[in-house]
Amino acid sequence: MQKRSIIGIVCLLTLLGCSPQEPPAPAKKPPAKKLLIGLIPEQNIFRQMERYEPLAEYLYWKTGTKMKLKILPRYGNIVDNFKSSGMDGAFFGSFTYTLAHAKVGVEVLARPVALDNTSTYHGLIFVRKDSRIRTARDMKGKRFVFVDKATTAGYLLPLKYFHGFGISNYKGYLKEAYFAGTHEDAIYDVLNRKADIGAAKNTVFQRLAKADPRIMKELVVLERSPDVPENALALRKDIDVLVRDRLKDALLKMNLDPDGKRVLEQFGAQRFIETRNEEYDIIVKYAGDIHLNLSTYDYKND
Amino acid sequence: MKRKVIIGLAIYSVVFLLAGAYIIRTIRTATTNLDRLITLHQVEILREHYLLQIKRVQADLTLIGTPHSRSFDTVVTHIIGMGRIIDTCFECHHSPRGTERLNALKKQTERYKEALSRVLTIRANASRLATEENAAFRIGEELIAQVSDVIAFTTSRLAENTQKAMNEIERTKYFLYWLVVLGPLASAALGFIFLTGMTRPVKVLVESTRKLKVGELDHRVPHLKDEFGELATAFNEMAGSLKEQMQKMRRTEQMVVVGELAAGLAHEIKNPMAGIKVAMSVLSEESYISPEDKSVLQKVVAEITQLEGLMKSFLNFAKPQKPRLEPVNVNQMLNTTLTFHLKHQAVGAGGSGKIEIVKEFGELPPTQADPTQLQQVFLNLFLNALHAMPHGGELGVRTFLEEGGKTIRIEVSDTGSGIREDLINKVFQPFFTTKPKGTGLGLAISRQMIEQHDGTIVVSNRPGGGVLFTILLPVKADGATE
Repeated sequence: MQKRSIIGIVCLLTLLGCSPQEPPAPAKKPPAKKLLIGLIPEQNIFRQMERYEPLAEYLYWKTGTKMKLKILPRYGNIVDNFKSSGMDGAFFGSFTYTLAHAKVGVEVLARPVALDNTSTYHGLIFVRKDSRIRTARDMKGKRFVFVDKATTAGYLLPLKYFHGFGISNYKGYLKEAYFAGTHEDAIYDVLNRKADIGAAKNTVFQRLAKADPRIMKELVVLERSPDVPENALALRKDIDVLVRDRLKDALLKMNLDPDGKRVLEQFGAQRFIETRNEEYDIIVKYAGDIHLNLSTYDYKND
Repeated sequence: MKRKVIIGLAIYSVVFLLAGAYIIRTIRTATTNLDRLITLHQVEILREHYLLQIKRVQADLTLIGTPHSRSFDTVVTHIIGMGRIIDTCFECHHSPRGTERLNALKKQTERYKEALSRVLTIRANASRLATEENAAFRIGEELIAQVSDVIAFTTSRLAENTQKAMNEIERTKYFLYWLVVLGPLASAALGFIFLTGMTRPVKVLVESTRKLKVGELDHRVPHLKDEFGELATAFNEMAGSLKEQMQKMRRTEQMVVVGELAAGLAHEIKNPMAGIKVAMSVLSEESYISPEDKSVLQKVVAEITQLEGLMKSFLNFAKPQKPRLEPVNVNQMLNTTLTFHLKHQAVGAGGSGKIEIVKEFGELPPTQADPTQLQQVFLNLFLNALHAMPHGGELGVRTFLEEGGKTIRIEVSDTGSGIREDLINKVFQPFFTTKPKGTGLGLAISRQMIEQHDGTIVVSNRPGGGVLFTILLPVKADGATE
């Protein structure tokens, strides 16, 4: 009887207020404005959420615009979500932005400058050192792991690479081609011999290499793409100009604010810089080189 | 008494303080135990919740690719929820072993999340997908086994802790019951002890007062403690003083009677006796009276003279004369009385034995006194001493100063047979005498005279035999008034 009473009290207390507490409301709560912001699965989707949550929180306190983050299973889903789920913006990869800009007309605001002072990335094609694969010719009958059809590093670069070797249909040339979904997984699949060749972005490659020395020791890079702008925040065209300007202003001034600086540090960046649409012309050109029509491009993975 | 009250209050305070402190401590312990139990049960619920969440994610994983598969967002929400639960666990304090277990769980959870992330994002052929899903499922099952182990272990510990805490609460409950019962009893017992300690002496004093009221002036309050002891001493002093006053009053009454009697005698006897005496004297001178008759007449005259002396004593005692003060040298007066008056008066007073007079006079200042009265007192004492030593002895006379020169002490002692103890207190009473021809007024008049000089006179038996009279006279300088 007594034991039951205690369990009852415990349950009651648990229901009443023992769940993890929400942060206290700000003294002056800004007017409620909520933007649905998509995140591409650049890395493990849960880590990706954790990386962007403090930034979204900071922007809310600074601008009064609440951001609801939505992680997406695939890069291309971003474009779909703008059409189906009322997404207001996203932190786009260079290729997804180019696609979204072409298909739904999103406008880029700003992108981060990494701690090594770079604001661009490039794609890499890599194999295991012990694989004897050194050119596209050696890849025949091998397994290739891409990231996603909507990535520059994880798909456009290999396409361009094969194109350079006169291979227009990689599916028939390779034994197996699949999409890992994240750059991390693509790198680890090659490292762990789940695939023979992989493609991913250099920033993720370098970050993983710092934590896992096997990457530099056992993998060899065969090709790299030109530098393209790092993942940037872009919003739908019809978003209130005031909201857009506030967000952009907050991002660009983050490094001048102690709280912002702390969030940037956690995010892994020095600051945000203004980004213009023209900076993505290189992607348009890159896609053009391999005869991709961005407005009709099927970004869905097979 | 004051000390007792303070000690009583201190004991009460200490007892209440100790009991209060113990109650607070026990309640605090019980609260802490309950708090700990609640926390432990919360943690248990959290673990169960965690297990359920993992199982839910496993179900989501199993349903992927089936018509019943849940949306990506739902699955992600479930996985994030699962991760948050394990993070919550780190908010509490754990033992190093507990932290180690938690770290292992956290690590396994992270592995599981990575595998799930991969399953959710990968697009590949069926075989590869199945491999990834199986890998994630396997990790999930391992995690479930790990959490189940922890739950099984902690459930048994929780049951033990719950029982232990309940036992402690039960003990606390019984202690409080006992305290509720014994506290008032102990308080009543202490109160009774203190109350008795205070009322008993009061009762004794009330009883003594009642005895005094009915005239038991010899009654004395028995020994009491503290302030009551002081009160008892004062009470006894008051009783003594009351007795003394009563005796004085009785004496005064006797004196009034004697005075009236003396006045009557003086009026009725004195004049006829004077006439008889004169007549007898004249008659005895006549020539025709034979020598035998003359002798008879002279005896009659002598007896009348003795009767006149008795009458005089009556009158002196009943209507004492006011002392006529003048500077007196006490030593000189004693000496004169011993060497002249005593010899003159002692004819026929002493017996056949030889009386040795021992004088020991200290240096005394002159004091205001009535020399006639003092001389009468000293002579009385000396004659009494001589009567007490019919077969000879030693008459001692000592004088010296006391109380820093404020009092003259005069001691007159003999080496006679002393006074019976049952009679010694009566020697100063009027008409009390042990002599066949005594009037019983000598010592009564002596005391009256000494008291008229603001002095005292007491008598006591000497250890070696005989009597000692002690007179204390205040030294009164020339010109001092009463």
